Amino acid sequence: MYIEPTLFVRVSSIEKITKQVKKFTLFPETGKELPRFSGGAHISTYLKIPSGLIVRQYSLVSHPDKRSNYEIAVRLSENSKGGSLHWHQGMKVGDRLQISYPKNHFSLSFKARHHVFYAAGIGITPFLSMMQDISTNRQTFELHYASKSEESCVFHSYIKKHYPNQSHFYFSDQHQRLQTTSLANHPIGTHVYFCGPEGFIEQFRTASIELGYPILSIHSERFSPPKPIVLKAFQVKIHNGITINVSKTETILEALHKHGIIAPYSCQIGRCGTCELPVLKGRVDHYDSFLSDEQKEANNCIIPCVSRAKSDKLVIEIK
Amino acid sequence: MKWTGDLAHFPYPFKGSTYRYSNNSIPMKQPYCIEVTSSYKKEMLFKRKLLSDHPERCYQSLPHSITGQWEIVEIVIDHLVSQYPQDFSIEQENNRWIFTNKILDEKKEFIFGEKNSLPCEPLFFISQHVQEDLIYMRQRDDNLYLDAGQLCFPANWSLAFNIGMKFKSIHHPIPGFKEEGLDQRILQFLMRLEAGTPWERLNWSLMAGDRLDTSLETFNQWGRLRKQVTSENAGELVHIRVEVQKLFRLPRTNSILFSIHTHLLALEQLATNIEWLQQFYEILSELPDHIVEYKGISTYKKAVLKYLEKQLQQVKTL
Ligand code: HEM
Ligand code: FES
Repeated sequence: MYIEPTLFVRVSSIEKITKQVKKFTLFPETGKELPRFSGGAHISTYLKIPSGLIVRQYSLVSHPDKRSNYEIAVRLSENSKGGSLHWHQGMKVGDRLQISYPKNHFSLSFKARHHVFYAAGIGITPFLSMMQDISTNRQTFELHYASKSEESCVFHSYIKKHYPNQSHFYFSDQHQRLQTTSLANHPIGTHVYFCGPEGFIEQFRTASIELGYPILSIHSERFSPPKPIVLKAFQVKIHNGITINVSKTETILEALHKHGIIAPYSCQIGRCGTCELPVLKGRVDHYDSFLSDEQKEANNCIIPCVSRAKSDKLVIEIK
Repeated sequence: MKWTGDLAHFPYPFKGSTYRYSNNSIPMKQPYCIEVTSSYKKEMLFKRKLLSDHPERCYQSLPHSITGQWEIVEIVIDHLVSQYPQDFSIEQENNRWIFTNKILDEKKEFIFGEKNSLPCEPLFFISQHVQEDLIYMRQRDDNLYLDAGQLCFPANWSLAFNIGMKFKSIHHPIPGFKEEGLDQRILQFLMRLEAGTPWERLNWSLMAGDRLDTSLETFNQWGRLRKQVTSENAGELVHIRVEVQKLFRLPRTNSILFSIHTHLLALEQLATNIEWLQQFYEILSELPDHIVEYKGISTYKKAVLKYLEKQLQQVKTL
């Protein structure tokens, strides 16, 4: 299976910034500087613990041009299955871990005339680097940030100090509520960005769509947990020909080639899209990083160099 | 540039016995965006002459590309220094950088990120030290735009025409690209490119002559050689032109660096490898007309095939 390239870092400091949130500073182990990143970027962190590998994504909250270290903020979640619990209780200064290169699935729109950020709780994290990017390229923005209380509001004093005119806070213990009605007050050409709990994002997305925001002007960030790979054997039938067995240890592409079937390919790690084949029957278990979520849901194509079958049999088309 | 190295290291582009357009990108084993070959010095002099004689043809940029240009300076210097430490070095003191190119015996001091510390734009500066053409594709919302580029050795296209264009519009001239949905699929692939996982692909074409600077603007100077190809002179006159193209995600601007290193090999040299000769003959004989036409081979394809047949005959009678 393909494993993405990683960087080795060590924890250089741990700071408790609210009751539930700790900030971790990570510095490169090799002495070589870390890559710069863009506003809204995150990293995947790989923690080895006795029961296995924990992979979690966290937004980078340090300055995008700072190459000597990265900072992330981790909230201890009530129903943590190990990720944040380990970060909070197991992690010590000096501990070593692997992280991915910075990635960005939540970038600032280039064509926006004005940016408005809606954050709830720890959902503030991607906006910190975005605000830094905007202030250097002289665009305009506002931040609407909901939190239970002032004490539990992550980065409250930092934001108030640096962006006093752009930021608005809503503390529920003071009966202040962040409501979707404010979406109606932004000028034409505004792009809106949402980050927070699932329900919060859904509520604001739906409201924006109802208000007539173009889909491409609505941005949100969700971190999906990595999908554990299920390796079982199954069968693949070529639409007008033979049926072949795909064993637990081989890919569909390998099985096709083994049977002398000409199927194009290039990267063999599920990213270039060259090996894509139409699926006529059966349910696909997608493991590629090429197809979009919509294309995956449609269940009518497969990237056979990595993806597998959920059903016992797949019928695919090869010309 | 005309291949002067070991033939075993020539970026030979073919697999199988047919060629079709597809996304033939693969993850790179050695993640470097540049390569210094034995013709470095000669090519650098030539490139610099083109840059100063024809700046508008060889260099274009949009104002908002400057941050991305610095990112390219950073990655190119990093790769030069880590790959060829005996030839290139960098001293960094905060943002004060001193770059040394020992092959050309040059030293350049500048403040990283400060445009006025260089006599030209950052991309222009760094492109004077590498054989590759460097193209900056800026990711804006859900698309990629050619926002800056240094292009001295194009395979019959124009940077001045393509500046500011979207990925799909740039590829519009390629027959079947849109109809087969290939442009959309390649764009989808590029949008998902990640830092730390660079890619490379080989593009190939044939050309009459051995000019590196075959821009669209100068077609009238080099295009007419196509009419002079015969089965007698094809081995010498006709060259296979291979571009090693590399794709890097630039994490600071979330954009893409596309570097192109062009290599030329005369057919008579290609023919010295019997497997290559056989495979290339098969591919060219079978190549669909629309690809032959687009690559500009139509006028002299017959002559080349005849030349290759003769070579194959000789091999068989040996
Ligand atoms: C993102 C950076 C890229 C840039 C700036 C770029 C630019 C170009 C340009 C300017 C041309 C010539 C078009 C003309 O005739 O005017 C071209 C041709 C082409 N490009 Fe790209 N390209 C890029 C990436 C890719 C990728 C990733 C593929 C993957 C398959 C690709 C496939 C092709 C093909 C097949 C041709 C036709 C070449 C031939 O037949 O000789 N390009 N490209
Ligand atoms: S070969 Fe690249 S996605 Fe399958």
